Amino acid sequence: MKIQYSFLKDYLSTDLSQQKLADVFTKVGFECESDGPIIDFDITPNRGDVLSLRGLQREFQAQQSKVFKDKSHYKTLTFKKDKTIINKIDKSGCGNYQLMLVRGLHSVKVLDKKKRNFLSAAGVPLIHPLVDLGNYVMLEMGTPMHVFDSDHLELPLNILFPISKKTPFQAIGGDTKIVEPSSLTIQDQKGIQAIAGIIGGHETSVSNSTKSIAVEAAFFNPDKIANQARKYGLATDASHRFERGVDPELQQQALARFLFLLKGIAQYDSIGCYKGSSVKLKPKAISLSVERFNYFSGLSLSTKKIKLFLETLGFTSMPTKTAHLKFQVPSHRFDMELEEDLYEEILRCYGYDNIPINPPKSGPVVKVTDHSVSAKLKGGLVFGGFQELMHMPFVSTKTFYALNSNEWIPAELSNPINENEPLMRGSLFGSLFSAINLNVKKGYSAIKFFEHGNVFRKIKNGFAQESHISGLIYFHESQKTWSDKSFQYDLFSLKAEVLKLLETLKVKSIQLVPNASATIFTANAMDILVGKNKIGMLGEINPTSTNKLFKNPAFGFEIYPEKISTKSSALKLIPVSKFPSSSRDLNILINQSYSYAEIETVLLHRKIKFLHSLALANTFEGNGIPDGSISMTLRFMFQSPSKSLQESEINESMDHAFSLLNKALKAKIRS
Amino acid sequence: MQIPQDLIDTAKLKLKSVQSEAEFFQLRSQYLGKKSFVISSFAELKSLDPDSKIAAAKELNILKSKLNHLFEVALEGIQAKTDVSLLDTTLPADPYFVGAEHPIAEISQRVINYFSPLNYQVFSGNEIETDFFNFEALNFPANHPARQMHDTFYLNAGKKSEYLLRTHTSNSQIHAMLREPLPLYMLSPGRVYRCDSDTTHLPMFTQIEGLVVDEDVNFGDLKGIIINFLEYFFNEKMEVRFRPSYFPFTEPSAEVDIKFGDNGWLEVLGCGMVHPNVLKGCNIDTKKYRGFAFGMGIERLAMLYYGVDDIRDFYSSNLDFLNQFSS
Repeated sequence: MKIQYSFLKDYLSTDLSQQKLADVFTKVGFECESDGPIIDFDITPNRGDVLSLRGLQREFQAQQSKVFKDKSHYKTLTFKKDKTIINKIDKSGCGNYQLMLVRGLHSVKVLDKKKRNFLSAAGVPLIHPLVDLGNYVMLEMGTPMHVFDSDHLELPLNILFPISKKTPFQAIGGDTKIVEPSSLTIQDQKGIQAIAGIIGGHETSVSNSTKSIAVEAAFFNPDKIANQARKYGLATDASHRFERGVDPELQQQALARFLFLLKGIAQYDSIGCYKGSSVKLKPKAISLSVERFNYFSGLSLSTKKIKLFLETLGFTSMPTKTAHLKFQVPSHRFDMELEEDLYEEILRCYGYDNIPINPPKSGPVVKVTDHSVSAKLKGGLVFGGFQELMHMPFVSTKTFYALNSNEWIPAELSNPINENEPLMRGSLFGSLFSAINLNVKKGYSAIKFFEHGNVFRKIKNGFAQESHISGLIYFHESQKTWSDKSFQYDLFSLKAEVLKLLETLKVKSIQLVPNASATIFTANAMDILVGKNKIGMLGEINPTSTNKLFKNPAFGFEIYPEKISTKSSALKLIPVSKFPSSSRDLNILINQSYSYAEIETVLLHRKIKFLHSLALANTFEGNGIPDGSISMTLRFMFQSPSKSLQESEINESMDHAFSLLNKALKAKIRS
Repeated sequence: MQIPQDLIDTAKLKLKSVQSEAEFFQLRSQYLGKKSFVISSFAELKSLDPDSKIAAAKELNILKSKLNHLFEVALEGIQAKTDVSLLDTTLPADPYFVGAEHPIAEISQRVINYFSPLNYQVFSGNEIETDFFNFEALNFPANHPARQMHDTFYLNAGKKSEYLLRTHTSNSQIHAMLREPLPLYMLSPGRVYRCDSDTTHLPMFTQIEGLVVDEDVNFGDLKGIIINFLEYFFNEKMEVRFRPSYFPFTEPSAEVDIKFGDNGWLEVLGCGMVHPNVLKGCNIDTKKYRGFAFGMGIERLAMLYYGVDDIRDFYSSNLDFLNQFSS
């Protein structure tokens, strides 16, 4: 809400500078920003009562420990019931409906310059003096008004809810809106003349030929107004106030004020004031325990002080038989329900900054959560030279299916910000590919990126969210040093990188199992398993999934931190041998159809005596090696926990190893 | 025969200034060559009487042995030095990658680093959420104007979808209160979404939510931890201002501003005492327990901390920008 400083200063009868005045309101919860001579008030949605000069005045006076006094001039009017003017009222939607008929208008002048400037500064367009006057009273008193050209109304009016069917309605300005049955409407004998609390009709709008007006001041139930304006693509000053709650006891005063000011700009023949059957809202009362308040706030305020604070804000202290205080809530405070709501009011008056500060407390000892696994993995990647990236998670349909299995159903937004990207990502790789493309263009030739974030998909009973950490390694040019040493990053470099990361983080029993059918990787991809639990994947990126964003092979991995157990098993220490180890090589020829994993399984799962570890020292194909076979040099290391091994014992174990390989995998000794 | 007493010391001194093997052997020959004092003295032994001869021979042998040892050790040192050919060690290292956390992740971690020693548990939260956890359980009634402050993304999920992208990390409060035992001290970082995009807003940004539910907490405790945290975060004594505000899930609510350089007061986070309706909705006995909660936008903190002007830079993937944070 924008208010001219000069206007507000006069209204509040204060000499405070613009900055100091803004500070007063900011400190009590109405954040102000100055824009030249205008103060822009950020009024929170619970405080519709402050969307007016009167509301600001009430708050300002409370800060000076003064009880509010109405400053607006008007003569009290008498309102009567007349079924020929206001007939039916739906009480669930309208608690109070008043209409003032002014006939025989003439010599209508524009509002004075001060009021016109005030309206313009508030962002309210000047339309017609009679409409402008209604808007002025709304900004002054907080009660929205609507001015009909009553010569175009066929009275009586009915305030109806719900209406039976969708009905077209031409709103002020000429746009036709289809009125929903759920809207509260003001109807005359011809049909809908206004959508209550939102907008009036084109046919009854005020023009230069207007001679008679019907000025409406009402209280519409916020529940019936909320979200209605949005349905019609409208957001009016009136709907903004009605949604937040308008003082239901102010309508007659507002019409009296309108009439008082009307006399200054126009002449008229007669007036008539009418009221519909109104619902008298029962005033709310809230009890307050001084002891509880002081415990809650850490203060020790007296009963007297608490009463003073609340009374300046318009609360009325009520007699009570208990030890607690009781306050009647003023009719304009829609936000008051609970004792805690009163606490806030007292603290606002006391000043949040005056509340004493306690030293920080700590909680009970915590358990490890999945967050710590992610944090460790990310730390490992950073030390491994990866730059972390973050991206928006919105993707196109094409990108989603290029990176995810066809079995995945995407999570689709019904109101995407960009209609070309209506889906939530199912993989982190899409953005990482684009990031490579961007940075290669910028001249970076060697890139290691990772991202940590969630991926999404639709499942049977809702949506699934999985945490992924995905990484990419890409070399746009081969890496050579000034001394011509070259580095060749390949699938096995990636394997080392991922194993180093996971093993350093003490992830036990990792297995890398080929998976030739992953969408994003080539056929040489691997699943990372811990037991039967898949905790990630790695492999060379399939060029078809990158949309030709880069030309060279890229290597990637994804790890699912939520799948990595945070429970550490009890450590079982094995005594360290004091005796020397011996290594022996075994050259074998083996059919290429067997994998190295099968060799490991044969050797490590059978108990070969004294075998401490096994490594692959070398492989060879080509000259002297039969077609379809491969030569492998296996390096065995033997060690005993209790003695130095004899040559004969090592030979015996080597013979055992070879016989196992020969029997299971038809391996031969390579001579 | 007169044997000079300082022979060994002189040899040691001279060896210190030897720079090459050639110099070394030249010096060695002076002390242990045919014409050296020690070796030539052995020839002179013949002329001595038997008693003197034995004593002098013994003395000469000791001297020779000491010199031999001295020169052997010295030779090893010289060879060790001269075996390595001198390199230009200022030439560049082999290529290497410098990794770095994303600045937003780094700022999040900085926040966590403050609260972790105070035993705040860190929980992840749901980004796709139901209306219940994002709004209703947080005391946002249906159709309440407060919901309009949150431009919400909704998900397509059949006729009446109540799934949405969470608009704040406060949904984690509800999950934690329904799941965890009390007292509860928690922190929940994560991404949140608002259907809004311009130069100062992004449709996705990062928040960290904090929540404490315990028996004896009051507004002074909330103020204490927030002020202490801000001073830790910015690593200086801060002028901090609490001003009343409105969040449906806290009562009283406050916005926290800091005095920041020449910029005057800047809003950095929102907080408040947990609204009794929220506690009751999570089956918490409000007579026994109270709570406070706070939430902060990480991008905003990062922009202040690093002096970044354009929020979009954080999500640009531009190494020219990001590399500046790794140095």
